Amino acid sequence: MTIANAADERAVIEVAGLRKRYGDVHAVDDVSFKVQRGEIFGLLGPNGAGKTTTVEILEGLRKPDEGTVRVLGIDAAHQPAAIKERIGVQLQTAALYPYLTVAELLDLFRTFYARSRPTAWLLDAVDLGERKDAQTRHLSGGQRQRLSVALALVNEPELVFLDEPTTGMDPQARRSLWDLVLRLRGQGCSVLLTTHYMEEATHLCDRVAVMDHGHVLELGTVQDLVSRRFHERAVHFDTLPGVDLERLGALPEVKRAVVEDEQTVLYTGVVATTIAALLELTEGLGLEPQNLGIRRATLEDVFLDLTGRALRE
Amino acid sequence: MRALATLTTANIRSFMRDRTALFWTLAFPVIFILLFGAIFSGPGNTTYRVGWVDQDTTSASGQLRAAFAQVPLLELVDGPLTESRSAMQSGDLRGIIVVPAGYAAALAAAGQPGASSPASGPAVTLDLYTDPSQQTSSATIEQVVARVTASLNVALTGRAPVLGVSNQALQTQDLTSAAFLVPGILGMALMQLGIFGAVPLVAQREKLILKRLGATPLPRWTLVGSNVALRLLIGLVQAVLIVGIGVAVFGVQVLGALWLMAAIVILGALTFISIGYLVAAFVRTEEAANGIVQVIQFPMMFLSGVFFPIEIMPSILRPVAVFLPLTYLGDALRQVMVNGSAFAPLPVDLLVLGGWFVVCLAISARFFRWE
Repeated sequence: MTIANAADERAVIEVAGLRKRYGDVHAVDDVSFKVQRGEIFGLLGPNGAGKTTTVEILEGLRKPDEGTVRVLGIDAAHQPAAIKERIGVQLQTAALYPYLTVAELLDLFRTFYARSRPTAWLLDAVDLGERKDAQTRHLSGGQRQRLSVALALVNEPELVFLDEPTTGMDPQARRSLWDLVLRLRGQGCSVLLTTHYMEEATHLCDRVAVMDHGHVLELGTVQDLVSRRFHERAVHFDTLPGVDLERLGALPEVKRAVVEDEQTVLYTGVVATTIAALLELTEGLGLEPQNLGIRRATLEDVFLDLTGRALRE
Repeated sequence: MRALATLTTANIRSFMRDRTALFWTLAFPVIFILLFGAIFSGPGNTTYRVGWVDQDTTSASGQLRAAFAQVPLLELVDGPLTESRSAMQSGDLRGIIVVPAGYAAALAAAGQPGASSPASGPAVTLDLYTDPSQQTSSATIEQVVARVTASLNVALTGRAPVLGVSNQALQTQDLTSAAFLVPGILGMALMQLGIFGAVPLVAQREKLILKRLGATPLPRWTLVGSNVALRLLIGLVQAVLIVGIGVAVFGVQVLGALWLMAAIVILGALTFISIGYLVAAFVRTEEAANGIVQVIQFPMMFLSGVFFPIEIMPSILRPVAVFLPLTYLGDALRQVMVNGSAFAPLPVDLLVLGGWFVVCLAISARFFRWE
């Protein structure tokens, strides 16, 4: 028992048996996981899955009803102030202090912490050097998002929480933020990330946890999660009117058939056999499958399979 | 403490750059007072309505009235003393002349040979009520009455003064006076400054800005402290502007001690800031906050006697004024600034304001949510 209770030296986050209830709703229901130092950890799940509540407990913004939460070795439920000094938090918020300039806002936040990075470093990290004298209300959505990331890095945190950090960014800004996150990991900083972008989670995260209805449904590397569920490939096409999903599921080699975003997806062990049978079936009905394609199963498929919902919903 | 200073600086900087906020908190009260002052303290006509209270009702007192009625500066309004006093208090009259009962008898006695010598004072005395805060009109009326009585004295006896005048002070609440308006408008500005503070506060919560700041090690009292510091500073600037215009443009004389005025301004601002926080504790959205704030501030503006004396309000509304904090702030400012007549004694004003402050602070501390 002593060993099980001992703090893991390498873990920056240790959550065990976490519960939080709002009235009758179990927002977080028995959640346990660990994040190791230097790891980029993704928390995925549809809206209302309990991600935000979990993250807010970790950030010391909420108290759990039950369970233990250790962040950087500190009890988050009882010493939130000690944690806030050492973590970075990025939230999806409107412009803080819209009439301050980018540099003024960063300078202001630097005074909140005992330890801080130079403003120039922060501006450079998120490519806002040219906009440093602009009032934050004049920033574009993507620039504002980058500023919120910079604010999360002000205190040279050991652990950063990023809440859908690339929402609203153009592809170039998204790439450059990914580079920044990987660079931070290179400096020994750990990252807990929530995202709606499968590509982002796949590209960045060392491990992901998929949450729904307050539970962690799956946890592991993206590769693990995909291969654990899908040995098959996916054959997808625009959903055919008047064709039963059951009938498609009965085609040879098809393991499962699902409908996702107006598209029917057949998971199959042997692509050629399934497609041949599909075309035979549709020809007999006088139909032709539109936008027919084949792909490997992805994190998106895992997500859909686990939650019954697409990641972006 | 460093964070408090930088956060307050950030607040001030933001405020200075927000043209809308600047207009409503600084330019608007200035425009307001210039407008109201111009409407109400324009050059009046040169006659003064003066109450004529005849408690003697003899032919002699009738002759006296005729003598005063000849003075073009005076317009005599007959009535009993109580009625005239309340008319004067509500600004209808600039002064009151009282002819005491026994006037004719005293005159007759004084006319007898061997009557009382001048050393024992006049045989009969008229009471003259004027308002010391209305310096021009009061001085004029006093002079006019003195001259009339002097000439009457000579005419009556040719020697010792038979008729004297004793000047009585009666503070008026004159609707048309800038001295009444300036403290009222300052009170109104402080009320709006404090209560409207609820709106940005609720907006900051709604936009998760309070939550984001809560994720830093910044203590919450620092956040509250910097917001309150900004409001207090604006309140003091408003006070300087409003009082300054009152003095420079409308010739209002500031009689009270500046430190006491500043203390009342700060207490008043704190009281209404705490009401703002109380609103923010119970309202979720910025739109709702805007609505509630209007519902509170608009009636308060008109029911607290900042624009006109409570005495002339319909009697069913007067009990409302007794509960409103703005009544007491306006009253305290008026008493201290221009030595105006009191609705309540100054310590009562300060206690009521302090009571509102403590109660609102306690309730909002209990129910305020940071997200």
